[in-house]
Amino acid sequence: MSRRDTIEAALARLVAASWIERLLLSIAAIATSIVVGGVIVLVSGMAATCEEPAFAFFGPTSCYDPIGVYVQLFQGAIGDVLGDPFNFRLALTLKETALLVFTGLSVAVAFRAGLFNIGSQGQLVAGALATALTVLFAAPFVPAALGAIVLVPLGLLMGAVFGGLYGAIPGALKAYADANEVITTIMLNFVAAQVAFFLVSSYFSAPESQSVETRTVPGAAVLESTLFGAGSNFSVFVFVLGLALVAGLYYLLQRTAFGYDLRTSGLQAEAATYGGVDPKRTVVTSMALSGALAGVGGAVWVLMVAGRFTAAVPALGFDGITVSILAGNNPLGVVPAALLFGVLKSGSLAVQLETGVPKQLVGVLRGLIILFVAMPEFFRLIGQRFVTPDREPVATDGGEPIEALQTPREAQSEPPGSEPGETEDGR
Amino acid sequence: MRTNSDRRRFLRIAGAAGLAGLAGCTSGDGSESTETEESGSGGNDGAETSTAGTEASTSTVGETDAETSTMADTEGAETADGTSSASAPEMNVGMIYAKGGLGDKSFNDSANRGVKRAVEEIGVSFNNAQPEQNSDFPTFQRRFAQSSSPAYDLICTIGFAQVSGLTEVAPNFPDQKFMLVDGVVEESNVASYTFKEHQGSFQVGHLAGLLTTREVSAGAGETNSENTTVGFVGGEEVPLIKRFQAGYEAGVAHANEEATVRVAYTGSFADPGAGKEAAVSMYDNGADIVYHAAGGSGIGVFQAAQEQGRYAIGVDSDQSKSSSQFADVILASMVKRVDNAVFTSIENVANDSFNGGEVTTLGLEGNGVEAVYGTELGSAIPEEVKQAIAQSRERIIAGEIEVPTEPSGG
Repeated sequence: MSRRDTIEAALARLVAASWIERLLLSIAAIATSIVVGGVIVLVSGMAATCEEPAFAFFGPTSCYDPIGVYVQLFQGAIGDVLGDPFNFRLALTLKETALLVFTGLSVAVAFRAGLFNIGSQGQLVAGALATALTVLFAAPFVPAALGAIVLVPLGLLMGAVFGGLYGAIPGALKAYADANEVITTIMLNFVAAQVAFFLVSSYFSAPESQSVETRTVPGAAVLESTLFGAGSNFSVFVFVLGLALVAGLYYLLQRTAFGYDLRTSGLQAEAATYGGVDPKRTVVTSMALSGALAGVGGAVWVLMVAGRFTAAVPALGFDGITVSILAGNNPLGVVPAALLFGVLKSGSLAVQLETGVPKQLVGVLRGLIILFVAMPEFFRLIGQRFVTPDREPVATDGGEPIEALQTPREAQSEPPGSEPGETEDGR
Repeated sequence: MRTNSDRRRFLRIAGAAGLAGLAGCTSGDGSESTETEESGSGGNDGAETSTAGTEASTSTVGETDAETSTMADTEGAETADGTSSASAPEMNVGMIYAKGGLGDKSFNDSANRGVKRAVEEIGVSFNNAQPEQNSDFPTFQRRFAQSSSPAYDLICTIGFAQVSGLTEVAPNFPDQKFMLVDGVVEESNVASYTFKEHQGSFQVGHLAGLLTTREVSAGAGETNSENTTVGFVGGEEVPLIKRFQAGYEAGVAHANEEATVRVAYTGSFADPGAGKEAAVSMYDNGADIVYHAAGGSGIGVFQAAQEQGRYAIGVDSDQSKSSSQFADVILASMVKRVDNAVFTSIENVANDSFNGGEVTTLGLEGNGVEAVYGTELGSAIPEEVKQAIAQSRERIIAGEIEVPTEPSGG
């Protein structure tokens, strides 16, 4: 039992960590991953053969310069900000960040409701396809002067609606047929990808194209690149939209009756039901909300990045899972977590071009950073389920650990608006 | 009671996390892990060659005029300003490969051979970029086009998936020369190269159709003369790859009306596991020769052929050379001279005769595509078969045989 106690104590320490401690922990994790990754780069560089070693220390030489690689990884992501604050590299970083904010939020909402939505990818595909087809279909009927005002919101709305509907399917299956949402969402990812492929290749493919893709959406519907120059595929509007969604979602979760329902069902479904929450309805609505967020991500991908629907959809939905875990499933944390992903994405392209390091090795470095940063958060999530910091379970908790009800952090931020009486009125 | 519920919770979380990981693996990126060995060695090759390239170019600079490397750098910066760069002693080429990446022993490696040849014969230096997803294509195209140290004289974009990116990027950089393989972008600064893959595929289809009814036993495989079934494994199910299928099917039918062609697509150019699965099921169903047009996934087809003791036909490169461990099952390869296209375009830029805005189509005529017999098994193919194939080649060039570009049946 002593080993178990040690582990429990460590978990309890982790769970009780303040946000400052968690931030320090993340920074320490990045530093450690850089040291470990640097050693890997150095050693693989020693094994590789090259004409001119890039790095030497006390005799042995290495083909890859571990310090240079990391300098490139982070510098390559922001570019020459002082010389040109709106440079292309920074635009790429922010573009990736903006896209991942949507999928990260999508996964986070479901997680908070106690649902593991692995299906953000599929919901994103559904939303993206709906957006592209709607905009292509509607464009001829919209007068040119109103193009952007009508088509962009219409596209985003259709993305949200279809993503939401596609997310509601596993929600309904979970609520009314008790089907495990992890399994159904994974499977629905494949369904979405293959159906989209079939529809586009058979009915909506662009003439003369060798790829499976639709025609390009009309210029009026494109979210134009702003500030960062044409072709950067990054619109500040989208970034603002993402931040607004973050704020809106935070408000929804923390300050509304629905958010209270959602969170309590996530913490302990039985207690929530006892408290008057309709569990089935909450499952369906939270999955639909999660799907809608992913669908907006898909719409943004179509309107801002791809300019059309192509069958090769990047794995934004899967990255969203990691983003959400990094963020501790907190909407506010999604922004920095997505930013880390954006930096790594943009930086690793720079490393590939500027240094001789093969892309596979760059992938390892990226993976290491994410792994090291995610692990403390991951253990914290597990820990929250197991241990209760500073308090032993008492009889009134039903003999179960009180983990279920509220962690201290949330208890503090509990708004007056979610008094039991009021939630019942609202229902 | 407490321990029990703890365990249940832990299992639930751990299980979900495991499944999440699994889901991540099944997405595009994960499929690459199965070919780590291949791409790992390919990546190293790439790194070696690029350093070798720099080496070669430094020596060129040293020969022409004894300038220090910093001087050479300023020279590079000058060319970025738009002054004619073709006459400069050093020429830089940016290579952007298709998604299968280097080490596919097929399409991308063929392009890589073209640029390596240019390193030796023209003395250029080059830099590789290996995109992981389609949205990386325009990013790399733009990065190369914007780069000023070094400034790139030519950017080679390999693969049909780069078309939409290049359509957007090329007009933004009117002074930057691009070349495109497997697609057409109608811009004055893009030289497009396409291939008549259906013609080459017809040739190997003809070969497969003739051999499936004959008794052939050489190398590590043998045909099954009673069963007239052959197979085709494609990568992504896109119009370009369907052209390979259409030509192959027509070739098989030309040899033998009765023969059946089984068709499967792996959905990826970088998934040898899926390639193997598709091929094994074809061999199990009586196919004795399987042709693949699946890039890196095709390695799985060769593995399946070796395990089942049957034959395979390679694509893009002479795969009995590039994947010599499978030479004992590779009857022939439909070689697509991507290397020639890459080399010619570099040579054109070096000679100041860049053919921007033009579309060069390479077919059987001029050996832009051709059926090349395997190094190990070529001698085992009966002479009369080789003659029939040489004949059909002449007739295709003469226009007597029309090779379809779209598969007939749905």
